[in-house]
Amino acid sequence: MSLRTIADLGPDIAARYPYRSRFVGVNGWRMHYVDEGPPEATPVLLLHGNPTWGYLWRDTVPPLLAAGYRVIVPDQIGLGLSERPHIASAHSLDNHAANLVALVDALDLDAAVLVCHDWGGPTGLAALLSRPGRFAAVAVMSTWAWVEPSADFHHRVVPWRTMHAPVVGPYLLGRQAAMPGRGVYLSTVDRERYEATGRAAYEAVTATADERRLTWQWPRWIPLSLPTDLAADRFRRLEAGVAGLRLPATVIWGREDDVFSIDAVAPRWHDLWPHAEGVHPVTGRHFLQEDSGAEIGELLVDFAERTLGSR
Amino acid sequence: MSATVTVLAACPPGLRPVPLLVEPELGHYPEFARFFADRFGLDDDPFRPPAVVAVDGRPYELTFLGRSGRPFPSGLELAALVVDLEPLDVEQADRDLYDLVCWILDGVGPPWSAEAFARTADIFRILARPRD
Repeated sequence: MSLRTIADLGPDIAARYPYRSRFVGVNGWRMHYVDEGPPEATPVLLLHGNPTWGYLWRDTVPPLLAAGYRVIVPDQIGLGLSERPHIASAHSLDNHAANLVALVDALDLDAAVLVCHDWGGPTGLAALLSRPGRFAAVAVMSTWAWVEPSADFHHRVVPWRTMHAPVVGPYLLGRQAAMPGRGVYLSTVDRERYEATGRAAYEAVTATADERRLTWQWPRWIPLSLPTDLAADRFRRLEAGVAGLRLPATVIWGREDDVFSIDAVAPRWHDLWPHAEGVHPVTGRHFLQEDSGAEIGELLVDFAERTLGSR
Repeated sequence: MSATVTVLAACPPGLRPVPLLVEPELGHYPEFARFFADRFGLDDDPFRPPAVVAVDGRPYELTFLGRSGRPFPSGLELAALVVDLEPLDVEQADRDLYDLVCWILDGVGPPWSAEAFARTADIFRILARPRD
């Protein structure tokens, strides 16, 4: 696959995400990331999930940069402008977490703020548990790190389990591109704004069935209390490890989130982390950054300054 | 489902398989692997030639995949069978795939169904879904 950068996606997308594309090798794959702000400043690592890429954080980055932080936004391997492995086993949860371990090692991050959304949670927190010395604080939003239940949404036959059933997944999400455009659209509040400023950027990097592979493979790793769950052991270890974390933490959530609901899922973070701040509700469904990206940036600045000191 | 899906005894001659999709992992819902094994006699002869089904007479090929350490079949490749070097009618193939998926889901049985698939396809406005 040829090397693509943010600039290659056209002037509209580049204007909204005006950062230099960088690449780093992680476990043999080419990972795209942006790295802005003073190199010596406290790093803030923003992790996206499925089916988005770093662009999801476009409105969150400016407040952090204005406050003097170093902001690092990788595209998870298989999405965005990162390499798209064709080998199914490359997309195990462990491999995705290990890719983030390789990233934070390569950048030699120290005392970073980890910010996790969706699959950025299980992968980023697994990486944090592998490299605890590299992180000083953590923020979570619309994500989880436990075995069961993930969320009621994921147990429903329509649409979730049907979407990810064998053969249906590669047909509906691969050939028919259900997720990047329509799927994100359904999980935003201001859908006109999403159509105007978001959709094209997600579809530009998932233009072919081949590029959409991870959009149907990743969800299959969500445990559903079935004997055939693919990652139950990893989630058990993750939950035990995360429960022992006592880093400064904050919980930010979309009020209208109907994938990981604010009433049912967000409080679980306080069961694990009684010391955590929040829940800070913002306008948003599952992709809350599409509706409240700048507000989330301000919340992160406030959290980081109070817990780590100003940079 | 608006089309008729039939299982053919053998592949008609002179056809070229055009890959449409690969399912690398049937195992997370093993009832799908069981359906394919039962419907195409894979337990008796796992090395048989690819299965062939027709959607309203248009043939499609199912090649079953094995993987060390996993029950067989662990995956499948689905291909359209096209005459000689003629180009694939992609839109027709997508509509046929929709009907083929319905046939598979109804064959696997509850909780999977063509009706649930139709509702899911409606949510995502899948253009290949036939209108009632």
